[in-house]
Amino acid sequence: MMSLERFEDLAETYGGEIARWPEAEREAARALLAVEAVRLTPVLVAAAHLDRLLDRAPAQAPDSALLGRLISAAPTAAPSSRRWIAGLSAALGLSAAAFAGVVVGVSMGRPAAAPPAAVTVASAAEQPAVVTTAVDTSTALQDAISEHSEL
Amino acid sequence: MSSDGNDPDEGLLAGVGRGDPTAVRALLDRRLPRILALARRMLNDPGEAEDVAQETFLRAWKQARSWKPGGAKFDTWLHRVALNLCYDRLRKRRETPTDQPPEQVDTGPAPDAGLLGADLSRRVESALAALPPRQREAIVLCHHQGLGNIEAAGLMEISVEALESLLSRGRRALKAALADLAGEA
Repeated sequence: MMSLERFEDLAETYGGEIARWPEAEREAARALLAVEAVRLTPVLVAAAHLDRLLDRAPAQAPDSALLGRLISAAPTAAPSSRRWIAGLSAALGLSAAAFAGVVVGVSMGRPAAAPPAAVTVASAAEQPAVVTTAVDTSTALQDAISEHSEL
Repeated sequence: MSSDGNDPDEGLLAGVGRGDPTAVRALLDRRLPRILALARRMLNDPGEAEDVAQETFLRAWKQARSWKPGGAKFDTWLHRVALNLCYDRLRKRRETPTDQPPEQVDTGPAPDAGLLGADLSRRVESALAALPPRQREAIVLCHHQGLGNIEAAGLMEISVEALESLLSRGRRALKAALADLAGEA
């Protein structure tokens, strides 16, 4: 059974509506109220009065300008033509990356004729996907240096 | 804070992520008034409240495409963002020196018995604004926003016991400040 003090504390804390009290304590509170109605009803009435006053604290309705700004800033669906262009760009990007990879590979096959580092820098700047070849290029650069020192 | 998997906004948010204007409008209709009211009651300033609500939803739009269902409820997330923005502004108010003294909040009894509706609202708003921010936040979250104690405590990153302490102290202070309004409301 809930104590009278706990009931009064809950009213002072959560207000005059038992439905807004912590769920786990509502049933016990209603049971106590049924037994101690004379003492506890005024407690609820006083708390409910403060609730009604609190309800008078002004809210604020969104105006049309705010709504308009938020609607215009919301994500929009990409038009189908834009999606098609995006797909084509991605495909071209992959082709460019593949081409750059071939160029790097061919360059690496030539003994120090074309500096591999120069090719790699240009490729990396144009197509970030080629950055993954940096380790290979570094190896190629080391090979080229060692070949040069052997000469 | 994790949700119970029943986020009522999940479908609309997915629609927002796809760029569906109907979902955008429906989500704004459902949540913007709540967030605006929260900011208004926390800041007691209509212009700042609007700025906070706008910034909160602009951040929500950025999240919409990558929102992962099953985490925090969207409404809880909105509250967290809005409260953080409110606290940023409250902090700036304290830190910004002004030439003029801060406006004195009149929480005393009205000169005339019987207040008109607008006057009553102003009295209550002033009394709420005069509370320490954490007490005000607890009351706004639980009473005005209708959050449960566990959700409100989670948002405030405090225990339920600490929340109850803030609520009861805040309500006692309001009761004293508005004691002359026994016959109103």
